[in-house]
Amino acid sequence: MSNIAKFLALDKVATFFNIIKQNGGIRGSLFKLYRQDELKDGALVGEDKFGNKYFENPRYFYGRNRWVEYSDKFHMNYDGSQVPAEWYGWLHYKTDLPPHLDPNRPKYKWMNDWNENLSGTTGQYTPYSTTRLKVEAWEPKPKSTV
Amino acid sequence: MFLASHSWRVYLRNQVSLVQTGFRWYSDKCGKPKKPVATPKKKKVYVNPHGDRSYKVGEVRRYSPFHYPEQSKVEWVVARMDDILNWGRKGSLWPLTFGLACCALEMMHYAGPRYDMDRYGMVFRGTPRQTDVIIVAGTVTNKMAPILRKTYDMMPEPRFVVSMGSCAIGGGYYHYTYSTVRGCNRIIPVDIYVPGCPPTAEALLYGMLLLTKKVKRMRICQTWYRH
Repeated sequence: MSNIAKFLALDKVATFFNIIKQNGGIRGSLFKLYRQDELKDGALVGEDKFGNKYFENPRYFYGRNRWVEYSDKFHMNYDGSQVPAEWYGWLHYKTDLPPHLDPNRPKYKWMNDWNENLSGTTGQYTPYSTTRLKVEAWEPKPKSTV
Repeated sequence: MFLASHSWRVYLRNQVSLVQTGFRWYSDKCGKPKKPVATPKKKKVYVNPHGDRSYKVGEVRRYSPFHYPEQSKVEWVVARMDDILNWGRKGSLWPLTFGLACCALEMMHYAGPRYDMDRYGMVFRGTPRQTDVIIVAGTVTNKMAPILRKTYDMMPEPRFVVSMGSCAIGGGYYHYTYSTVRGCNRIIPVDIYVPGCPPTAEALLYGMLLLTKKVKRMRICQTWYRH
């Protein structure tokens, strides 16, 4: 029976409806399509401090079977740098263990909290020099104070 | 709204002052009929001249970067016009192929199916007259410098420059040779620097996405309204 259904590609239809269902119905699916140009079904692996959700589905081809859905709070302003360092390795197949299941992750006091790329915002890093200038700018004095 | 004891002249003066303040305080005026003559004090609202504001973790971000406190109605309309303009621009950034050295190889990968620039509406054009962005990929030699400048000058406004790789950023490996320009920003103004030797196609793609973010912050209409 299941062979006939497979032959008629009914399991694909079932997968399609499953994807729609998992992404929050027709409205939710349309919004996700608008936001991330992709509609997938998968198992939720974890969530990070930004609220990004990480999914996995081995049915998809390697390279596409792990993905991140950025938090709704980012709306359209999501960015690759919003994936924190803990999750980077899992997302890029450096490790199979997500951070909350991996006991061997180093944790030191000097490790900074992850921050996204702030270029172009008010929080951006601006380089400055601590050495004395080699050239002094000429500031001409006005001839009269009037 | 206004008291009957006021003459039409006072009313007119009031109207003029409304125009002078740029409609900003119109709604506040309606609520206070006591002092229609006195010009209200302008509250100073800080607006960042450049760049987006930075968000904290967990803060909800809106689509548009142009939401300010005390934004007047006209300013709001002008900001939305900017949003529409920037939406169109960032969705079709057409780069120019300016491959000078090995960075061009990574630029080709960025155009290829794996990184696929086309999904962001970026299409390589062969002529500078049809492009928005120039990706300077590779070492700019002294001989190439005038050509790079001329190519840049041929591009229509608004134009952007992505400096790709350490050679284009600051001369890189060839910094101390006799025949290279020490960074393409000596010739043309650069928007995005993509470091690396060469940067990966992924890095270039990320740089281009940052450029789309920058395009999203452009304020053509708002600057026009302000001046």
